[in-house]
Parts: sequence; structure tokens; C-alpha cells
Amino acid sequence: MSTPSQPDPRADTAAVSDETLMASHAKLLGQQPDEKGRYRLMPLNLLFIFSGMIFFGGTYLGRFSGYFSPSVFNEYSTGTAVVAAAPLDPVAVGKKLYAIPGGCITCHQPNGAGLPGAFPPLANSEWVTGSEERLIRIALHGLQGPIKVAGADYNSAMPGFGQGSGFNWSDDKIAAVLTYIRQEWGNKAGPIAVDKVTAVRTKEGARSAAWTAADLEKLP
Amino acid sequence: MPNPPTHATTAEVTAIDTQARGPLLLLLGSGLVWLVVSGVLALLTSIQLHAPQFLADCPQLTHGRAQALRETAFVYGWLANAGLGLALWILARLGGRPLRGLNWVVAGSLFWNAGVALGLVGIAIGDMTSFGLLQMPRYVQPLLVFAYACMGVSGVLAWSGRREDAMYASQWYAVAAIFLFPWLLIAAQAVLLWMPVRGVVQPIAATWFAQGVWALWLAPLALAVVYYIVPKISGRIIPVYEWASLGFWTLLFIGSWSGGRHLVGGPVPAWIPTMAVVAQSMMLFHYLIILLNLRAIWGVGGTTAAFIRFGFVAYLVFGVAEFIASFRGVAAHTHFTLFNAAIEQLGLYGAISMIFFGGIYFAVPRLTGLAWASASLISGHRWLVLAGVVISIAALGIAGGAQGEGLLDPKVSFPDMFGRMSTPLLINTAAQAVLLSANLLLLVNFLRSACPWTRTAEPTPTLFRAATEEAHAS
Amino acid sequence: MKNGPFLFTGVFLAILISFSALVLGSHSQLGGLTPYHDDTEGGSFPQRTSGLAARGQLVYADLGCAACHTQQVRRPGYGSDKDRGWGERQSVARDYIHQARPQLGASRLGPDLTNLGARQKSEEALLGLLYHGSATHPGYSFLFETRAIAGESSPRAVKVAGQAAGHETVPTERARALVAYLLSLNTSYDYPEAKPYEPAKKEEAKK
Repeated sequence: MSTPSQPDPRADTAAVSDETLMASHAKLLGQQPDEKGRYRLMPLNLLFIFSGMIFFGGTYLGRFSGYFSPSVFNEYSTGTAVVAAAPLDPVAVGKKLYAIPGGCITCHQPNGAGLPGAFPPLANSEWVTGSEERLIRIALHGLQGPIKVAGADYNSAMPGFGQGSGFNWSDDKIAAVLTYIRQEWGNKAGPIAVDKVTAVRTKEGARSAAWTAADLEKLP
Repeated sequence: MPNPPTHATTAEVTAIDTQARGPLLLLLGSGLVWLVVSGVLALLTSIQLHAPQFLADCPQLTHGRAQALRETAFVYGWLANAGLGLALWILARLGGRPLRGLNWVVAGSLFWNAGVALGLVGIAIGDMTSFGLLQMPRYVQPLLVFAYACMGVSGVLAWSGRREDAMYASQWYAVAAIFLFPWLLIAAQAVLLWMPVRGVVQPIAATWFAQGVWALWLAPLALAVVYYIVPKISGRIIPVYEWASLGFWTLLFIGSWSGGRHLVGGPVPAWIPTMAVVAQSMMLFHYLIILLNLRAIWGVGGTTAAFIRFGFVAYLVFGVAEFIASFRGVAAHTHFTLFNAAIEQLGLYGAISMIFFGGIYFAVPRLTGLAWASASLISGHRWLVLAGVVISIAALGIAGGAQGEGLLDPKVSFPDMFGRMSTPLLINTAAQAVLLSANLLLLVNFLRSACPWTRTAEPTPTLFRAATEEAHAS
Repeated sequence: MKNGPFLFTGVFLAILISFSALVLGSHSQLGGLTPYHDDTEGGSFPQRTSGLAARGQLVYADLGCAACHTQQVRRPGYGSDKDRGWGERQSVARDYIHQARPQLGASRLGPDLTNLGARQKSEEALLGLLYHGSATHPGYSFLFETRAIAGESSPRAVKVAGQAAGHETVPTERARALVAYLLSLNTSYDYPEAKPYEPAKKEEAKK
């Protein structure tokens, strides 16, 4: 060490010149390959530490990288990287559709009871829990004219919800909302399959006119 | 470690220093001016933390804008100028030839300072971009790239025209930093400002850039200074110097991967923060080599050594702190808190700035050919800045701890949280005031030392002859 | 090291690799994210915000609000984001695809604002906070202007103590854009990738 006992704080002295500094360090690097003629990229002890870190890093990356997936945000996720869309529950979907403002809920009310004298109920309605053929057609194309539901007479009009109508609902949606109303408010009828809706719609072709109760009663 | 044979007969002030005096003193001096500017802004933002209404109705200095101004002035004003000045000086000295392209350095420096000033005005009037360390508005960014390239050319020329074919560690670090920074800036601008990427890719790119500013620019500049000065003042050969290149390549190849640490828990895919943890752990290898290489600084006296030693320790502590804070379990407590501000203060002030101070104390007497004007200003700066840095880091760290605990407990409201933080925040304000006064002392001392007309009456100091005698005695 | 070109190539490769992997890599993963179309909701999410709100985001950015506020909710169980009522689910990349300048933020000196529009419905309260500030929030009176009441007083006027008679303090265009933006912040829609991950068994708290 080469520090004077009382250094001038105003300027620190240099102990070596730049040339010496360069030369003495260049000499060190010039020692490779070493005395035994081996060229060492890395000393053994450093290599050991470095491998340890690589091992830790690799393990950590393997465990917590979420498979490098863009849709994994939780590093603990170990399942498949692709998040599959869960199959939709038709009842839940139908419930949302039922509640769309301007749709079913407007006339048939949240409790499915309709408005006495104006709009027929869905709860305990033989039209809802009965023939699938008739129910699907009502939903697809609408209904107008007199109809007797649960022992009471009604005479109003319902718009169609199927493709080509103002709502333009897909067969999935029609099936979902019908499935919903067939098991809600105490109704206990089976679900409506999407295929069934498609079949009925195909069979009716380009029909856009609303049904009447009399027409429907001719159907099974 | 045995002393190398030191037969330093060369005069300590060489023709290289004399010739580069003006441009390099311009760089160092403008750096110090920006340091004082950012010190004022740091004081102001610190006051705003415990008195939110302070200057709130001044649209140019909302807390967000003042923070951006402080950070920009500090990094692009102070660190950029000082780091480049020191790197050019080291490259010239180690290259053994006078600097070429000094007119470009002067022009570039004027453009750079004008660009930073314009950028600060832009931030204040509301053209701030929202990316950390890239807040300056789009319209000054091309100017900055151009100005830095002008200045950097001189460094690259000094390196490629070096007298010895062999390179010393300082040269690797200095050339890498000077060469990489324009590329870094261009890449970040391209994906953030000119052709913005979508959604969260923006914050990912912004953290990549901020990490690059640290790992590819500021840290290499500081290491260039340390690698140069440690053997110069200690007279010792760097221990296990043959490992130094491993440390260099680890920093360059791994260092810029850990930006994702600032996005932990956020809306980015899990692999990005995980990658940051891995990169931080691999970086421990770099810090280990730096520790082994530069421990020669121990036991050396003098102002330069004191600053370099402090900066060196802070650099290592910073590395370990970043490593620990990158883990998700720790980040749950520290993320989003002032604890990160404490780590930043540790890195940018405690490590980089202190190393640059050491470099300035070593370089300026050689550039001017005269000793520093005032010993008492040096010692005043030294003790005040030491106290200011240590206290501000500790205060921010404690405030961050209190904030982290408060945030984790949903029953603690924000006013309560600020109540718990108020004492450390007040202490931080005091520390910022101390830092500002310390740096004013340095600026005054620098101006008195560097301006030729203030020194004519004084006798020429004899220290450089002493250096030669000292070398012989050892 | 003696070889200059080797140094240059290595140094350049270092920046090239990390840029390609982190920035271009995440861009290729996330840059093409599309809105999530939900048939049953009859719409795509995230929904676009109004023009006024989009301008408000720029006001938010240039005032530096992100220095104290974040806009990212961490998953339930990590931090107290859910318990503080900042959001029911983790923010995901898809939430931000319509935003010109996502304001994730990195500091929480104030509450998270990801879902501010869901819990704060009152424009009046926000304008009041912006004008007067609070114990922990600065008051930005420069976002407001005082003018003589012409005809009826503005519904957006903020209450100011000691206001001169016949005058009112109303938000400027920028303040209205900012408030519209803040009220539009709402990420209540659940994307499939935002569903919390349910561990099959109890995970060791390794980290």
C-alpha cells in the first residue's frame, strides 16, 4: 500500500502510470493457456458456482414460467397453458337472455307470471312445458291472436326472436332461453336441444309471419 | 497482493489531459449543474410527499411531473454528462493517444444539454410520455440520439486508435456503454414513441429500456471508472483479473433481462417476472466477480478512494437488494412502495453517483493541472453527501416498509398509511436538503478549480511530483 | 481481450438478444390480442371508451398521475388488492388492448384506479377531490376556471368557500376529459384467462 500518512485531500496521487497499469494486466491475460498448456475458459471453482446458478435458474424457470404462455398470469399454474373456454350452461345463458331489456322479461315479467289480462304467463303454462315443436315455433317466429293459457284467454302479439327477426337470435340462444323457461318458476320440462331448433327452423324455411294458436294446434 | 513494479516516471498530467481539458471539463461541469437542478427538484418532490398541497396548484410541478423532471435531470443531465466525460478521459488515457473529434464532443455536449433542457421544459408544459426514464417528449429524442452519437464518436475513435492492441477492463466497459446507449435509446423510442406497440407490451418495453439504462449504460460507465481508478490509486494489480471478462459478459448478456421485476403480479404473462428473478440470480455471479476484482480498494486513503469504496459497496448491496426484491414473496411487501425508491436511490446515487464523484475528484486535478481549489469544500462535500445518501436511503426504505405493511392490511386507510410514513418522509426531506447543499459545495469547488481566471494567483501545486516520488518509494 | 471486432459483436449481440426476446417476443405473444367476443353478453370486451375518456387518458399521463396511482389489480391472495375492493380478479393483458397509453404505474401512494368507475359513480365527488384535494391528495385548482355565471349556473360547478357572488368555478375541458376517463375505468368483465388458478393441491410456499 502506498498511501502517504498525510495525503493532500485536494488531489489524490496515482500509484502507477497508465502504461504500467495496461502492461501488468495485459500480462495476466497473456498467461492463458496456463503453465500446463491447457486453455481454461473458466476456473473450476467459478465454473462450479456458475453451474449452480444455471441449475437454479433453469429449475426456477421451468417451474414458474407458466410454459411461456401469453395467457398464464399465475406462476403457480401447472395445467395446460391454453385456457379452454368452459362449456356454457344453457340455463345460465338463457337466464341472461331472458333478462335482456326489451325481450322476454318486458312482457312475461321477471317472475314469469306475465300480466293478467294482457300477457300470458310462462310459469305453469302448458304451452311452455308441453310440445317442443310448438314452443320452438313461437320463439322463432312470434305469435299473435287469441290464445288460451292456463285456463285464461289472452289476445296480444309476440315478436319472433329467431334469425331474420329483429332480435336475430341464433339457434343456440333460442335453445338456451327455452331450456331456461322450461325449468324455472316450478316448470319441470326437459331441455330443448339446439339441433331440434335448427331442424324446426330449416323445416319452416323463410317463414317470417307470426303463428296463431290455431295453426300451432295442428302441430304435434 | 504484491505491488507491481511501478516505475512511474511519466508526469501525471500528460498531453492527453491538457488537450482534452476544455471539452471534458465542459461535460463534467454541465453534469454538476444538472445535479444541482435535480437536487432542487428532489427536495421539492420529497416535500410533496408529506405536504401534498405543496406547489399543487402549479401545473408545471405536480408531483408526477416533478418526479419525472428530477429523474430526467439526474440521469440525462448529471449521470450522462459526468459518465461520458469520465469514460472519454479513461479511453484516451488508456488508449495512449490524444482524443480525436473534440469539436464533435463540444458540439454534441451543447446539443445534449440543449436537448435535456428542452426535454425538461416539455415535461413541465405537459408533453411528458408515460415511460420511466423516457419521459422526455418525442420531439427532443432524435436530438438526444444525435448529440450522444456526436460525443460517443470520440470515445470509439480513442478506443479503436489505441496504441496497445491489448485492452484493459475499463476499456471494455467504457466502449460498451458508449456504443450501446444510442442503440438502446433508438430501440426504445421506436417501439414506444414512433411506432407504439399495443397494450401491455408498452410497459414491458419500457421496463426493458429502464433496465438497459442501468445494465448496459450506467453500470458499465461506473465500472469503467472503478476498474481504472482502483489500480491507479492503490498501486495493486486487480486480484483474479483473469475473471474480469466473465463479469463483463455476465453484466451485458444477463443484466438487461431483469426489467420484469417491476411488473411482478401485473397483467403480463408469468414468464416475464420469472425471467427477471432468474436474471437477477445469475447476476449475482457478476457481483461476485466485481467483489473479488475490486476488493483492492480496501485500505487506500484519500478522497477518491473514499468515494469509490462507498460506491463499490453500494453497487454490491444494490445487486443483492435487487435480487431479493425480485422474488414474488418479497415483492408482495415491497412492490408499489417507496422501498423501490430506496433501491433506486441506492443504485443511482449510492453506487453510480458516488463512483462518479470519486472519478471527478481524481480526474479534475489532472485535467486542469492544478489541485482542487479548496480542501474544506472537498471535506464538506464528502461528509454531507455521505450523510445525505445514507440517511435518504434508510429513510425511504423505512417509509417503504411502513407503506408495504399498510398496503397489505386492507383496514389501513391511505391517510393512516401516510401517518405512519410521515417521520421517515420528513427525514428524507432533510436528507435531500443535505444532499443539495453538498452538491452545491462541489459545484462551487469545481467552478473555482476549473475556471482559469480564478486560479491564476495561486501557486502551482506540487502534488504530481509527489506522485512520482511516492511510486518510487513503494 | 484483444480482439476489437469480437468485443463489438458480442456487445451488439447482448442488446439484440435481450431486445428480441423480451420486447419483440412479448410483442409477438401479446401484440395480436383481440377483444374477447361473448355471444351471451352480445358484445366484445374490453369495450372501447368514449373519445372524451380517451383524451382524458392523455391528461392523466401528462399530469403524471401514474407517479402515485396504479392501474393494475393483482390476483386475489397476492397483496390486498381484492380486499381493498380494487377488483375482483387479476388484470390481464387483454384489459389494455384498446388503450393508447396503458398507465400501469409502479407506485401506490394512492389507491389503485383500475376499477374506479365501478366504485365511484359521482362526477361531483371526483371534481371536488381534484379541486380541493384532501389530506393525502393534492388539489389541482389549475384544472378549473372561475367565471361569472351566465344564465343558469353550471351543474358541474364545484363548491368553493367564499366564492364571489355571481361567480362559479367550473372544470376546464381537460378536467372534464380526465373525470370522464376516471369514470370509464372499469374492468368487470371476466376473461377466461383471468379466472383464478385453482391449485390441485396445497402449494408449498416456496417463494
